[in-house]
Amino acid sequence: MIAIDALRCRNLVIDSLAIGPGITSVIGPNGSGKTTFLRTCAGIELPHHGTVSIDGAAPRATETGWVNEFPDRNILFARVYDEIASPLRFRRDIACDAIDAGVKACAESMHITHLLNREVRELSGGEKVLVSLAAALVHHPKVLLLDEYDSHLDALLAEKVDQVIRASGARYVIRCTQQMNTAMKSDHLLFFDSGRVTHAGTPREVFPFLKNTAFYPVLWECGL
Amino acid sequence: MGVRVMKMSLDHACVIRDSWSLTASGTFDTGVHLVSGGTGSGKSTLALMMAGLFPLSGGCMVKEETNSCMLSLQFPELQVTGRTLEEECASWGAPADKILEATGLTGRRNTSPLSLSRGELKRLHLACVFSRDYDLLLLDEPFSSLDCEEKSKTCTTIEQKPGITVIFTHEQEILPRVFRIWEIAEGRLTDCGRPPDAYERWHHVPPAVKRLAALGSPPGNISMRDIREAACRIHG
Repeated sequence: MIAIDALRCRNLVIDSLAIGPGITSVIGPNGSGKTTFLRTCAGIELPHHGTVSIDGAAPRATETGWVNEFPDRNILFARVYDEIASPLRFRRDIACDAIDAGVKACAESMHITHLLNREVRELSGGEKVLVSLAAALVHHPKVLLLDEYDSHLDALLAEKVDQVIRASGARYVIRCTQQMNTAMKSDHLLFFDSGRVTHAGTPREVFPFLKNTAFYPVLWECGL
Repeated sequence: MGVRVMKMSLDHACVIRDSWSLTASGTFDTGVHLVSGGTGSGKSTLALMMAGLFPLSGGCMVKEETNSCMLSLQFPELQVTGRTLEEECASWGAPADKILEATGLTGRRNTSPLSLSRGELKRLHLACVFSRDYDLLLLDEPFSSLDCEEKSKTCTTIEQKPGITVIFTHEQEILPRVFRIWEIAEGRLTDCGRPPDAYERWHHVPPAVKRLAALGSPPGNISMRDIREAACRIHG
């Protein structure tokens, strides 16, 4: 369980929240605190007050994978292979052939083997997201945090990536998305507004509160 | 004085990069055009080509009565030049007061554009782009990072733009009414035609449109208004 207690961080105010294992989608208006929430759960940002506990441990004591909403800001290396290998190389206790096998297996699962020798700067926006996601998954994190990763992916690819994420073994996946068709397919859904979680539950529980807003899934609105 | 007929024609315009290539032929008339395609298919490359920022390897492009052109890049941070939001608006020749009020960023006038969240930055960027009219407006992924409310507002603004507007996107939920639909696949731009006839040829047809068409009620166009109308025909 991810337990959040009396959290205050920038504009974020969460008195109490519990998130179970599985895929949690975070939705809400731009600037409502979604990214700050993800950064806090990743341990990238420390709260001014309160705690985030992941199965009893602090985020910084937990293996996490992170995909930035600005993929360029997270990419360190020029070549795709080196970028995906970097989380394993930084550990300094994994043999080169094991790193090589890990990178190739991860790239294959993401269908990006053909990109391994490409320069990152030559990639399309969606391809950069895939590389960032591969680098986040290659070390098998317990918590995977994805900040609007799907805003640069086409629907078919987003579906494939969704399957990869589900098969990744990450106990917790928390993802910000502006695609309500994606949010519908989550185990848990959080709706943020002005730095607060105003609705939490399953998609079937949360979306009825968002009827008559642009956040209500068009497929449900039209009875499809 | 005659009416200006704006037009941009591509005649086997192509770019070749290593083993990858993109070839485009077709005419873009006044109205909103949607170009879809898979990730890495070449949507951004085509946008750069049409803006004259990517040298052609072959073929040609001809503009008629199309004098001003603006390209909005997929990643708004790449077009930031101002140190503050006020400077950023000024760099676009846009009125800062009006832009910041419309984007809900009035209180952050003196902060850096790069301190905004991606959605906020995209909102600011688009407001600056939309503050003027262009003969040819190229929008690369205009909906990425915007929340659902902002996507709807952006659709309304796009529909009201004069001239030729070309949207390069993989958005599948909230889209504007469009004049013509195009698709890039296997290195080639294909003209799918005008909605609703285009749906049969369009591989990236949005799920709601696809389901309504399968139920015998294809929406007249791809906007939310058209989808709701088509759904009403079924459900009453």
